[in-house]
Amino acid sequence: MPGIIDVSQLVKTYGDGTKAVKGITFSVNEGEFFGFLGPNGAGKSTTIKILTTLLQKTSGFASVAGLNVDSDAAKIRKIIGVQNQDTVVDEDLTGRENLVLQGQLQQMHGPAIKERVDDLLKIVDLVDAADKRAGFYSGGMKKRLDLATTLVHNPKILFLDEPTTGLDPQSRAAIWAYLKRLNEQGITIFITTQYLEEVDRLCRRLAIVDLGEIVAQGTPGDLKQEIGADSISLGFENSSLNGGDVRTKARQVLEKKFDGVSNIVDSDIGLTVYAKNGSYMVPELVRAFDEAQIRLSTIGVSSPTLDDVFLKHTGKRIRVEEVSSANMRGMFGRRRR
Amino acid sequence: MSFFSDATHLFVRSMKKLVRNPILVFFSLFQPIIFLLLFTQLFSGLGRFLGAGILSYTAFATAGIVLQNAFSSAFQSGTAVVDDIKSGFLSKMLATPVNRSAILFGRLLSDVFRVVVQTVIILVLAYALGVYPATGAIGYLLVIFTVAFFGLAWSGISLALGLKTKSAETVFGIAGAVTFPLLFMSTALVTADFMPPWMQDVSTYNPVSIAVNAIRNPITGCNVAQRVCNIGFDWNTILQAYGVIAAIGLVTLGATLYLFRKVVS
Repeated sequence: MPGIIDVSQLVKTYGDGTKAVKGITFSVNEGEFFGFLGPNGAGKSTTIKILTTLLQKTSGFASVAGLNVDSDAAKIRKIIGVQNQDTVVDEDLTGRENLVLQGQLQQMHGPAIKERVDDLLKIVDLVDAADKRAGFYSGGMKKRLDLATTLVHNPKILFLDEPTTGLDPQSRAAIWAYLKRLNEQGITIFITTQYLEEVDRLCRRLAIVDLGEIVAQGTPGDLKQEIGADSISLGFENSSLNGGDVRTKARQVLEKKFDGVSNIVDSDIGLTVYAKNGSYMVPELVRAFDEAQIRLSTIGVSSPTLDDVFLKHTGKRIRVEEVSSANMRGMFGRRRR
Repeated sequence: MSFFSDATHLFVRSMKKLVRNPILVFFSLFQPIIFLLLFTQLFSGLGRFLGAGILSYTAFATAGIVLQNAFSSAFQSGTAVVDDIKSGFLSKMLATPVNRSAILFGRLLSDVFRVVVQTVIILVLAYALGVYPATGAIGYLLVIFTVAFFGLAWSGISLALGLKTKSAETVFGIAGAVTFPLLFMSTALVTADFMPPWMQDVSTYNPVSIAVNAIRNPITGCNVAQRVCNIGFDWNTILQAYGVIAAIGLVTLGATLYLFRKVVS
């Protein structure tokens, strides 16, 4: 079944020879919350610009809602909402005027715009500030207004490029909460972000791009599982057992009885054990240690994070960058990320 | 048809921005007003040489000052486009079904509107200084129309520069470098007799001179170059100027359209 976004062998080479996207293939299903992650310069923004008809592809195929990005650009623009990485609101206009203008550009008409704008102002909590100029808004308010402008025409698909970068944690949480609600209402969300915890919580599937190529894609769970090992941290009540070192004894137990263990490392409180499906192993571990009369004081399992996934596939840790003037270039900066 | 409604909406946006940043109207008006108040006093003695003493220098210079304003005001158009490019507002618009040409048209419309408002302010001020329209209200309407037409043509240069360089500084820099030489080597503020011969040649073909004649005639009722007054509308001069302005406009707006297409495609 074709997805709501279909991309196949997509290539973008800029005029100066920079190969920003080198033949990527992926597909997003209708109603999905899809994360598109990658380090700076990976080709994320270029891909978004192609999908949102702002940039012509060099070769390959891309469609949005079954519409070809080259030949049906005008139709695509009516059903997508696009939020740029930089907050884009007209600071000389009030919040309401920004929304109304966006509705007009989306070819909506008077009464429909008014009704929709009133609703949106409520949704993004800007009713009180609606008639103040956006220039007086805080960063978080501008971002919420910006998000609202992308929603005026009830888009089927939202493209969000770093929607929460540079925001304080509270504003960030608010935006993610809105996005979650929108997605539950059936809007497909295609998002790039550096906040992996949110991705983990909200994205049903994600793709990781690096140097213009997709290096991994799947559900957050699958990708983390691919990493292999959970880490189980064990703390012991006593440091010695029957005259021997408890760690040595515990190692023997682990090596004898558990195949899934991939690595065992000494820790301050005892041992850290790396194993596939670590959490399933816990009851057996406890039983085995009990039999061997090893008393546990603590036991904790932590799963691999998306950060580990990201590290494995790109060799880099994702780093949250603050918004700086260097990031404030518009769409015509050659290649931002 | 979305072209007209889109252009109207974007025109309204520009108007709101203008009203809320009145500095944009007065920034470029500052200099013409200083010229009108001081320059005309400084050179009031020149009146004796103009139109056989019938014409005051203030009346003579009003046309030049109106044009100077149109000139520098039109050069601001490009900076607004640069702002929209840099802020990402243009790309935000381009991700909507908005009519592409309407974006440009709405912009030009508001630039012309700004020049017209400024021209009216200058003409009112000149009226207070004793410059009465020789050809009446119709003459002033013609002046305003000519200025709008001229402003449109020059806006094209500024827009093209803005689209090409995407730098407000460059637009301002080039504007400054172009405005003054063209203005001072024209008959905007003095008649050709005051210039050395080489400058007279430049002045004759300087589009600013040609345009200023078309504005000066309705205000003064004279053809200053031929030293005749009370002749009413001098259609030869006016139509010649329209021809030149149209030619400039075709080139500048053509370039703007071409560069804009490149940006939005």
